[in-house]
Amino acid sequence: MSLENILTNWSKYRKGAEEGGFHDYEHMWGRVIDLNKCTGCSACVVACYAENNLAVVGKDRFADGHAMHWLRIERYWDEPDLGEGRVAEFQHHGASFLPMHCQQCNAATCEPVCPVAATYHTPDGLNAQVYNRCIGSRYCSNNCPYRLRYFNFFSYYESSWPAPLHMQLNPDLTVRDKGVMEKCTFCVQRIRAVKDKAKMQDRKVLDGEVQPACVQTCPTSAMTFGDILDMHSPGKGVENTQAAALWRKHQVELGKAKQVKQDPELRGYRVLEGLNTDPKVLFLERVREV
Amino acid sequence: MKKARILALFCNFDEAFAAISDIRHYKVPGVSVDDVTVISPIEHPEIEEVLGERPAHVPKFTLVGALCGSTIGFIFLAASEANFTVQPQGGKPVIPLPSNIVITYEMLILFSVFFTLAGLMIGARLLRKRKSLYSEKVTLDQVGIEMELEEKYVEPIKKLFRQHQVLEIREEVIQ
Amino acid sequence: MSDQHKDINEDIRWAKINEDVLRSMENPRMGYWVSVVVCLALLSLAVIAEVYQYNTGMGVANLNWPQMWGLYIATFIFWIGMSHSGTLLSAILHITHADWRKPIYRFAEAMTTFTLMTAGLFPIIHLGRLWNMYWVLPYYSDRGIWPNFRSPLVWDAFAIGTYLTSSALFLYIGSIPDLAICRDNARGWRKKLYTALSLGWRGDDRQWRHFRKAYLIMACFLIPLAVSVHSIVSSDFAMSIMPGWHVTTFPPYFVAGALYSGCAGIITLFVLLRYYFRFEDYMTLPILDKTCKLTFAIAMVWTYLNLVEFSSVWYGHDMVAKELLIDKFTGTYSPYFWAMLFLGSVVPFTMAFEKIRRSISAMFVISILLNIGMWLDRWMIVGPTLSASYEPFAFSVSWPSWVQWFIVIGSFGWFGLLFLVFVKVIPSVSMYEVKEMIFHRRHIAHKDIASVMHRRAGDAKPSGEAGLEGVKS
Repeated sequence: MSLENILTNWSKYRKGAEEGGFHDYEHMWGRVIDLNKCTGCSACVVACYAENNLAVVGKDRFADGHAMHWLRIERYWDEPDLGEGRVAEFQHHGASFLPMHCQQCNAATCEPVCPVAATYHTPDGLNAQVYNRCIGSRYCSNNCPYRLRYFNFFSYYESSWPAPLHMQLNPDLTVRDKGVMEKCTFCVQRIRAVKDKAKMQDRKVLDGEVQPACVQTCPTSAMTFGDILDMHSPGKGVENTQAAALWRKHQVELGKAKQVKQDPELRGYRVLEGLNTDPKVLFLERVREV
Repeated sequence: MKKARILALFCNFDEAFAAISDIRHYKVPGVSVDDVTVISPIEHPEIEEVLGERPAHVPKFTLVGALCGSTIGFIFLAASEANFTVQPQGGKPVIPLPSNIVITYEMLILFSVFFTLAGLMIGARLLRKRKSLYSEKVTLDQVGIEMELEEKYVEPIKKLFRQHQVLEIREEVIQ
Repeated sequence: MSDQHKDINEDIRWAKINEDVLRSMENPRMGYWVSVVVCLALLSLAVIAEVYQYNTGMGVANLNWPQMWGLYIATFIFWIGMSHSGTLLSAILHITHADWRKPIYRFAEAMTTFTLMTAGLFPIIHLGRLWNMYWVLPYYSDRGIWPNFRSPLVWDAFAIGTYLTSSALFLYIGSIPDLAICRDNARGWRKKLYTALSLGWRGDDRQWRHFRKAYLIMACFLIPLAVSVHSIVSSDFAMSIMPGWHVTTFPPYFVAGALYSGCAGIITLFVLLRYYFRFEDYMTLPILDKTCKLTFAIAMVWTYLNLVEFSSVWYGHDMVAKELLIDKFTGTYSPYFWAMLFLGSVVPFTMAFEKIRRSISAMFVISILLNIGMWLDRWMIVGPTLSASYEPFAFSVSWPSWVQWFIVIGSFGWFGLLFLVFVKVIPSVSMYEVKEMIFHRRHIAHKDIASVMHRRAGDAKPSGEAGLEGVKS
């Protein structure tokens, strides 16, 4: 039976990401982050903590590197052209901010190294993490070039949400215990809810209907979230989304390690694109006055 | 007819070699070299030459093991992956050949080793009760020649052994 | 003793071999019990640390983001490396007919088995939820869930399982004739034990014939297996995408490093066994000399592969990998990195001198230094990449806490304990093979020929006869 299965479906099972992969994608959730609009206010980080039951580990453990921030705002003072600030190493015009969360790579490096298949690619194009299956080998984090995976080094549920704070936990997802890896899910519980609702009403998911907590919170609307599947398979998923329009506008394509752009003024890039991880988060470069 | 088993102990390989060589040349009519079993403290290919061609079938077991290991290994992997399609990962195919080859290789070796072990156990007749006629000196430094003979040949053989400075002859009657 | 030129005294009576080796298995002396207590103490440190870590979480080991692996994985590679010694001595030297391996291969093989049993603990210890470790194994589950066969960690599980099984069987099969000797000389419960263990071996020609074939085949399988095991361990790194890990030369580099630390480990145990059991007749200085030469050669291979790695990174265009390499030489980890280069590549040059090669105490110290170097090597593979890779925001350095150190130290206690049990249960010198060695040497190389053959550069020519021809006539 199994042998028959292998032989009949051989060519299908041998398809890698280059030939479209095994999945028949329903959606491909992606996003665009316009760094011109990002002020580094960290509202998205707070929203993420609230939505996803992220443990607040405290100052000491944060310093020890045990923080669980799925979404983090990275600050860089790497443009000395912008003039010296009050402290010599910090530039005059303030930091450059880079909000980083799981890039939901289509060819994710974390996935093939997990010994127990606890992280995998869903038909929604998401890079999912199965907490129940995770045994905590932490190989995925070591193989993530973005270092966007966080490990529960301790049990936080008592220290992080002392009563009555536990009442504010989001019931739509679990509180993770020690020894489990976790990371940004693009608020998969919200995606799930919207998909279920659309199914019940017998319609397609609408553009803008899914709003991850960070996108919803961003005061400057720096983030755009949406389905970008119809970029390369037209007619599938949510069509003509805002996010897909931005990807098209900035001439960034999925499945390419190097983007060929006609217009050098275009600002779109993906982080560490050259590693061929095929991330689904498009950043629009910040333009600054010198 | 009554049969006897005798065990002759020699103090070194040269004398045992000479004795077997005599048997090989039918110095005792009716007794052939095929009846001879040499018991020695060390492995000694030269003395086995005088015994003539005696096969060891271990490599056949190994070959079967290697074939089993590689086919079963690969099919097992491919089948379990094909039944677990919910998890395609990292842009890799459902049945990734490089990693399957790595594990198949290990399975090949594992099965080969097990079959070789089985070949040794079966071929060398291990895991059986030892015959009662046994001298502890052969694990020390003496060479033994064990034969199962009809009773009438026992005396001539003993005589032959004595010509070659046998140290000790033990015998027992079987059947 | 130091002017001894023959690997072994060919005039030893066979009965004396039996006596000497069996004596080593008799009632232990005081030193043995002291060693047992020391090993138990070390092991209990690890047990305490592990219980604490199990209850509290991996954070107590001072692992953090991004330093997710630490000494556990480094020490895991170290122990796997040590295990390659036995294969080298028993398998490679067996099929090349280097008979000087015979007195020393048994304990090297045991070392293989026990280092693997030690190494296998580390991936389990380092798991966040180690109570679920069996999920890595491919077993039929009602939920239709399988492990991820793409993961090098699963390859590790297969490779180490195969290697442990094969090397344990190889050790066992190789010692069946010796167990028969034990059976013939033992009394009481030991007799029963060895009767069972020796599987009815009596040494007839049929048994020897099959034994020889089976042993040779096992040796032939063990060589590619050992190479594959450490290649697969190197795949944990080489298959990843991180700078400093994603290195093409890692498989041969790991194998060379493994043979290197394995040989150094053999020298350490050689000295200990020789001293403790008075095995001067078997573990002779010429054999130590040969082992050291072998170690020296492998050390140079390792050094060469290191240079290949450096130069390929240096001349490549991967700026991240290049920066990491520079950071290894000049950054936070540089003292350890330089120490590793010194111990791994400079210290072995002492083995170029015959005086040192033949000095028991010097080689004891040097072999331990070499292994410290190799342990540092493994740490320098794991640590720096985690502290500085692609993401600048995640650059950080953290040092292992006492929990990690206790478990690393305790693993030596665990290994020592296994080895101490081994020396009392299985003969640590192969009696039948030493007899073979003596037998063949006495027959093939006649005494006079031997005196010519074993003449070394500095010695005076044997008087009278001109050379081999003269002796033969």
